[in-house]
Amino acid sequence: MTEPLLKITDLKTHFFGDDGVVIAVDGVTITVNKGETVGIVGESGCGKSVTSLSIMRLLQDTPGQVVGGSIEFENKNILEISEKEMRGIRGNDIAMIFQEPMTSLNPVYKIGKQLEEAIRLHLKYDKKRAHKHAIRMLELVGLPRAKQLMNEFPYQLSGGMRQRVMIAMAMACSPKLLIADEPTTALDVTIQAQILELMQELRETSETAIMLITHDLGVVAEMCDRVVVMYAGKVVEETDVITLFEDPKHPYTKGLIGSVPKLGENAEELDSIPGNVPTPYNMPNGCKFAPRCKFAMEKCWEIDPNLIETENDHLVRCLLFQNKQVEVEL
Amino acid sequence: MTTPLVEIKQLKKYFPVKKGILGTKKSFVKAVDDVSFSIKKGETFGLVGESGCGKSTTGRLLTRLLEPSDGEIYFENNKLSELNEEQLRRIRKDFQMIFQDPYASLNPRMKVKNIINEPLIIHGYDKKKSLSRVKELLEVVGLNSYHAERYPHEFSGGQRQRIGIARALAVNPKLIIADEPVSALDVSIQAQILNLLKRLQKEFDLTYLFIAHDLSVVEHISDRVGVMYLGKIVEIADKTELYKNPQHPYTKSLLSAVPIPNPKLKRERIVLKGDIPSPANPPNGCTFHTRCPFAMEICKKSVPEFTKIGVGHYAACHLINE
Repeated sequence: MTEPLLKITDLKTHFFGDDGVVIAVDGVTITVNKGETVGIVGESGCGKSVTSLSIMRLLQDTPGQVVGGSIEFENKNILEISEKEMRGIRGNDIAMIFQEPMTSLNPVYKIGKQLEEAIRLHLKYDKKRAHKHAIRMLELVGLPRAKQLMNEFPYQLSGGMRQRVMIAMAMACSPKLLIADEPTTALDVTIQAQILELMQELRETSETAIMLITHDLGVVAEMCDRVVVMYAGKVVEETDVITLFEDPKHPYTKGLIGSVPKLGENAEELDSIPGNVPTPYNMPNGCKFAPRCKFAMEKCWEIDPNLIETENDHLVRCLLFQNKQVEVEL
Repeated sequence: MTTPLVEIKQLKKYFPVKKGILGTKKSFVKAVDDVSFSIKKGETFGLVGESGCGKSTTGRLLTRLLEPSDGEIYFENNKLSELNEEQLRRIRKDFQMIFQDPYASLNPRMKVKNIINEPLIIHGYDKKKSLSRVKELLEVVGLNSYHAERYPHEFSGGQRQRIGIARALAVNPKLIIADEPVSALDVSIQAQILNLLKRLQKEFDLTYLFIAHDLSVVEHISDRVGVMYLGKIVEIADKTELYKNPQHPYTKSLLSAVPIPNPKLKRERIVLKGDIPSPANPPNGCTFHTRCPFAMEICKKSVPEFTKIGVGHYAACHLINE
């Protein structure tokens, strides 16, 4: 279980735009072990999606570029292998589900054709076998009348069904790692419950490790073993899921948890985090969260803290929890 | 507090869809099918349901952005359908809307001051005072008065939603219809906007119709909640009652489907099978029977009556009548 499958070390992804460089991912280190579900939580612009795109090497046609660090998948740095080799891994060993089930399927091809394409390409099945396998996958993800669906176009399906097709496609080659980028955000609650249940089932039967990118703490609590909280391109806290909710350390994590209205709790007011996420063009100098932090001290504006282990496997990037080190540095 | 500000009676909206080769056969999408509820002055009425249940259509019918096919809407005892256009325009001042998408609901080519000023012009506000009113409104929603000279693209999603709220507040409305006002926002920003809406309600004595799909958000903000499914309200109750003692199987399953941010909590979850049926071709009898885990024979045949269960608690389900 504790064998690392994916090891991201000090990943730096920058976007070279017309107005200057945008640092989207700034030294992110994440490890996903075999069969484990790791949640990556953060708000828009925190770099969680760019991290996943960097893993898949899907940034070629964008101004984005990985400028530092390494991504080791099964002890192989996938940043250094050729595009041809990468194509063998992408979709085969690492599969991805995107947020928008409406736009991630090609609207002009039938469901069957899109599924078969991936299967034939990666598993080298012939047409007949691929067809059978595609139907089996559709049945596996709980879609009714799988045979007919093969001849239907994406527009004929509902959002939940499309997301199931996406999952079927991702799981078709039994990947070792599934990256799910906000897989249920665009879906209704009852459909979300279905998809989450499906993902849990698949995880148990196939031993696929899941990297679940989401902003929904409820989904995290339900699905993940370990959680990484990101803010402004950096990991600010990492720990197991129980500790995260019971003993969150970083003020941002605390603020996030306080921001969510909890069913049955009936709080008069929510603990919102003041202000906005800093834009890439006006990143604060010190701690990136200092301008919104309730506990910000003077030194927070100057020193960008390191990610430090406070307790067993509980990593926090905050000066409140590393006093000793600060004294040494000052 | 006791006189209803808005009363909706047997409201229906059927959208015609053309079918057949020549478009001669007509069928209808029953977006809102026999919905009745009232909103008291100063309260927040939450309307929850999944996509396609007709909650947004209900909101639009209320503002008369859509003409109802049948049914009546009373606003302060004025029957809206009997008003002529001029009267309707005047009364519209009293109900304003906040939209879901803060990116699409602000004109990108207008400055913020003009966006907020527009309702003031339409409703004949004193032009000389309007700029100071705009600045005052910006401060009220937590922005700065110097933001008036900027364009929407210079703002983040949360800030834009604040502009949308300022625009809605401009003409001192009595009722605000908020259609998914926070669902496009990040969690921490969502909390800011929810707190803002609560504060404004107290400050300006507002009444809200809060339309959303997120049950935890609706619980947080509402006093009473109506749950919609396929164009019908299946359950209405006081929020504490609804969340503690849900009666309709759909409400129960909706509540159990919400992921709760507590990893230690293990709940019995009712996972509904299948998708929401198309409102163009809703099931006979109780519209929920195709997905209901407790469906009986009778559910397929007859439409359940809306029955009173407790004080202000109503539900439409055959299980309750037994």
